[in-house]
Amino acid sequence: MRTALFTLLLGLMPPYLFAQAESCRALEHHGKQVEAQACYTKLSQSTDPFTSAEGFLGRGLYDEANEQFRTAVRLQPKSAPIRTEWGRLFLEHYQPGDAAKLFEEALEIDPNYGPAYLELAHIAADRFDKSAIDLANQALQHDPKLFQAHELLAFVALEDDDPKLAADEANKALSLSNDALDGMSVLASMDWLSGKPDSECMNRILKIDPHYGEAYATGAHFFEINRRYEEAIRFYRKALELNPDLWPARNELGINLMRLADLTGAREELVRCYNAHRSSPQTRNALLFLDTVKDYETFRTEHAAIVLNRKEAGLLRPYIEPEVERAILTYERKYKMKLPGPVRLEVYPNHDDFVVRTLGLPGQGGLLGVTFGLVVAMDSPSARPEGECNWASTLWHEMSHVYVLTATHNLVPRWFTEGLAVHEEGAVSPDWGDRLTPDIVSALQKKQLLPVVELDRGFVRPQYATQVLVSYFEAGKICDYIVERWGNDAIIGMIHSYADRKTTADAIEANLRETPAAFDKDFAAWLDRKTGNTVRHFDDWKKGMKSAYADLQKGDKEGALRDGLSVRDYYPLYVGTASDYELIVEAYLGKNDRLSAIRELERYRAAGGTNTDTLKKLATLESENGMTKEAVITLTKLNYLYPEDPEIHQLLGPILLAQHDTNGSIREDRALVALNPPDPASSHYQLAMALRAAHRLNEAKDEVLLALEAAPGFKPAQQLLLELSQ
Amino acid sequence: MKPLLLLLLSTWSMPAASYFVTIAGLGGTPEYDAEFAKWAADLDHDLKANGPDARVLTLTAASATRQQIERTFAGIAADAKPNDSLAVFLIGHGSFDGTDYKFNIPGPDITAAELASLMNKIPAQRQLVVNMTSCSGASVASLTRKNRIVIVSTKSGTEKNATVFARYWIDALRDPAADTDKNGTVSALEAFDYAQRKTAAYFESEKLLATEHSMLNDTGEGSAVRDPKPANGEGLLAAAFPIIRPETSIAKATDPAKQKLLAKKEDLEAKIDRLKYEKAALSPEEYKQQLTSLLLELARTQAEIDH
Repeated sequence: MRTALFTLLLGLMPPYLFAQAESCRALEHHGKQVEAQACYTKLSQSTDPFTSAEGFLGRGLYDEANEQFRTAVRLQPKSAPIRTEWGRLFLEHYQPGDAAKLFEEALEIDPNYGPAYLELAHIAADRFDKSAIDLANQALQHDPKLFQAHELLAFVALEDDDPKLAADEANKALSLSNDALDGMSVLASMDWLSGKPDSECMNRILKIDPHYGEAYATGAHFFEINRRYEEAIRFYRKALELNPDLWPARNELGINLMRLADLTGAREELVRCYNAHRSSPQTRNALLFLDTVKDYETFRTEHAAIVLNRKEAGLLRPYIEPEVERAILTYERKYKMKLPGPVRLEVYPNHDDFVVRTLGLPGQGGLLGVTFGLVVAMDSPSARPEGECNWASTLWHEMSHVYVLTATHNLVPRWFTEGLAVHEEGAVSPDWGDRLTPDIVSALQKKQLLPVVELDRGFVRPQYATQVLVSYFEAGKICDYIVERWGNDAIIGMIHSYADRKTTADAIEANLRETPAAFDKDFAAWLDRKTGNTVRHFDDWKKGMKSAYADLQKGDKEGALRDGLSVRDYYPLYVGTASDYELIVEAYLGKNDRLSAIRELERYRAAGGTNTDTLKKLATLESENGMTKEAVITLTKLNYLYPEDPEIHQLLGPILLAQHDTNGSIREDRALVALNPPDPASSHYQLAMALRAAHRLNEAKDEVLLALEAAPGFKPAQQLLLELSQ
Repeated sequence: MKPLLLLLLSTWSMPAASYFVTIAGLGGTPEYDAEFAKWAADLDHDLKANGPDARVLTLTAASATRQQIERTFAGIAADAKPNDSLAVFLIGHGSFDGTDYKFNIPGPDITAAELASLMNKIPAQRQLVVNMTSCSGASVASLTRKNRIVIVSTKSGTEKNATVFARYWIDALRDPAADTDKNGTVSALEAFDYAQRKTAAYFESEKLLATEHSMLNDTGEGSAVRDPKPANGEGLLAAAFPIIRPETSIAKATDPAKQKLLAKKEDLEAKIDRLKYEKAALSPEEYKQQLTSLLLELARTQAEIDH
C-alpha cells in the first residue's frame, strides 16, 4: 500500500522522464489535471510503444500500458529507462516484487542508471529497510541532480525521528528544484507533527499545485507511524478533498478507520477503492477480514468493551474480563488518570486476522498485540503455538500503551511506550515480560545497545535481524532502571514531558537531572550488574550445556546433572528450548528424586519458563506430593499461557474446590465445559458440585441436568439430582 | 428411525445370546503377526467378561482360514435366534484392487461380499461388523445392510497403511472414559468415538499425517460417515449396541427380583432418548420440565436397583 503511495508522493516528476511524458507530468504537477489528461491521451495514441505506454500509465490504464511497455522492451531490450518506467507501473499497481525485478534488470543493463537505484530505494523504504538510504545515496552518486533522492532521504530521516537531517535533505531537494513538492511535504509534515497546523510549506505547495493531496497524505503517514491515528485520518481526508482520485490515500484512510474500529466507515472507503480497481492486496485482505466481524460478540464491563470470537468467548470471557478491569484500576492509580472512554479490546483466534487488523506498522513481525488509541487488538492464546504467548502479559502490555498514548496525546516516542509496557508486564509478575534470550546476550556481548536518544531507530529501522527484540529489552530495562533509581513519579514526569512535546533528551534532563550521555553511562553500569554474569560466562554456559546434553544422551544422568548444575547460575534466565532446568529435572526424575525435580521446576517457573508440558509436569508433581498451594500457582500460570488445554481446568477446578475457593472452581469448571470435552457429563457434574458448594443450587441443578442429559445413567449425578430436588 | 431405536433399546439387555467373532488375519511380518495376535487375545479376554451369554469365538493366524471362518459362521447361523446379536471384529491387513476389498488371511483371502454373505445367513437381527484393517473403507458398500452397524478404520480403499484403530478400539473396552453416558456399558458408538479420537491424537502427537479415518454406517443406507450424530441420522443403532457390560449389570439382569426395575429403567432411558431427539420441537421450558421429571424418576429407579 505504501509502495504506490510513495511512488506517487516521491516519484511523480522525475527528471529522467522523457520529454513528451515530462511535459504531461509537468502539467499534472502544477494542478492542471484536465490539460495533463489531454496530454497523456495524446501520448497514448503515439505509434512509439514507449511513448504510448507512458500515456496509458498517466491515464491509469495499466493493462494497456503494460502491453505497450512489453512491446517497447522487445524493440529496445538494452534500454534501462524503459525497464525502469515499466517497473514504475508495477510499483503503482502494488506489485513491488515485479517492479524490483525490472529495476534490477535496468541496472544490469546500465549500472550507472540513477533512477533505477532510486526506485529500488522506494521499495526498500516501503519495507522500512535500512538499505533505502544506501540506495538513495547510490542514485545521487550516479545522478547528483536527482532531487527525488534527497526527498526520499528526507522522508526516511523523518521516519527515523531525525528532523534535522530531514530538513537538510528536503532543502537540498529544493535547492535542485523549486518544484520539489515532496521535499516541501516533508517540511510541512514537520510543522504539523510539532503542532503547527498552518504550514508555510503547504501554502507554497498549493501555489504550485492546488490539488496536491499527496502533501497531506505524507503528513498523515507521519501521524500514522507516530500512532496519532485520529490526526492521520483527518489528514487523509484533507488529501482526498484536494484529490478524490488519490487512491493510495483512500486505501490508507480505510485501513486507519478500521484501526480505530470505525468498521462501517472503513468498509465504505475500502469498497470504493476495490470498485475503482485501485485496491492493494492489504485492502482486499481488510475487506475479507471485515466480512468476519459477524463471528464476534461484544461483552461490556465497567470500563471496557471486549470483542471475542463466538467460538471461544465462553472459555476466555471469565478470564479476560476481570483481567482487563484489574489492569485499568491498577493503571488509573499508577498513572493518576482516567481514560476518556471505554477501552475496546479485540481478541483474534486467527493470527492472520490479527495481522490484517494491524497491518502497516513497522517491526510488527512478532507482535502479539497492538494499540490504536483506546482500541487494543491482540492474538488469542489459540492463535499461537501452545505456550508461545502469555495473553495476560500481552494484555497488560497493551493496556499500558492505552494510558501512555492517551496521557501524551500520542506524542510519546516508540521506545518509551514500549519500554514502559515491558516494564509494566514485569511489575505485574516478575516471570512475565521479555526474557533475556541468547540473541540479547549476544547483542550485549557485542555492545550493540543504542544510546537512549537513538533508541527509536532500533524499532523503526533495525540494523540487524534481532534489533527490534533487543530494543524492546533495552527499553524495558531502561524503564526498570528509572523506576528503581528515581521512582515511578519520574516515569510520570517523563510522560508529562512528552505530552508537552519535549524530546527524549529534554525529558531525561528535566526529570532525571542527567544528560542523556550520563544516563547512558549509568544505565550501562546498572545493566551490567544485572546481566554481566551471564554476558561474561555466556560461552562457558554454552559449552557446559552442550556437555550436559551429551551426557544425558549417553545415559550418564549423574554427569548431566553435574554439568547442568555447574553452569545453571551463569544464565539463570534462559528458559527457552532445552533449558538447563529441564535437563536437570530429567536427571533428578531419572534418579526418582521428585522433590529436587519440583524445586528445579519451580525455579524454571519463576524464571519465566513457558513450556506448557514442563509446567504441567510440575503441576502434576506438586499435586501428587500434596503441594496444592504451589500447584495452584503453576496451573494459574498455565491458564495465562494456554487456557485451551482442558487438562489444566480438570486439575485446577477440584483443587480450588478443596481449598473452598468456590468461585475459582466454578470458573475452571465452566472453562472445561466451554471446551466441549469428550466427557461432557463429568464436566457438567464437576461444575454442579462447585455450584452446590457455592450454594448456587438452581444453577447446580441446571448443570446436573446437563450432565444427566449427556449420561442419564451417571450415578453420582443422579444422586446429586436427588439431593438437589429434595 | 425412532421406533426402531425404541424397539432395540427395549430388547438389547434382555437375556439373549451375544455372539462375538474376532478374526486376526495375516501380519506379513513377525512384528505384525505378534501384534495382531495380541490384539485378538486382548479382545477375546475382554469380551469374555460379558458373562455366560457371551459366545466369544476367536480365530487367529493359522486358524483364520477361509474354511475355518465359514465353519464358524455356519455354526452361529445354526444356533443363533433373531433376538441374539452378532459382532464381528476383523484385525489385520486388507487390500483393495479397485473393485473388491479383501481381508488377508492364510490361504485364499476373503472378500467383503463373501463375508457379508456369511453374516447374512445368521438370523441374529442385530449385527455389528468392525473392520479394522487397512483399505477397510472399501468394504462398507458390501457389508452395509439394514440393522447392521458397519465400522471401518479407513475412509476408503486407498488408505493402505497398516492401521492403529484396533489398538484404541481395545483400549475403549478397558478405559472407563469411553463410557461417556456413564451407564456402565460401552456401546459400539462409544467405542467408535473413543477409538477415533485416540487415533487422531496418535497421529497428532507423532506429528504424522493421518493415514486412516474411521467411518460408521448403521442406517443400512448411503455411505459411512466420520461423525455419526442425530443430524445425519447415523449412530442411533450403534449407541444401543453394547460391546462390554459390567458384571454387576449382568448379574442384576438375571435376578428376577430386579428385572421389573430394570425394565422400568430401560423404559425411562428410552423415553429420555426420545425426548432428546424431540428437543428441537419443544420449548426450552417444556423440554427442561419433561427431562427433569424423567431423570428424577430414573435416578430413583436406579437407587432402588442398587439398594
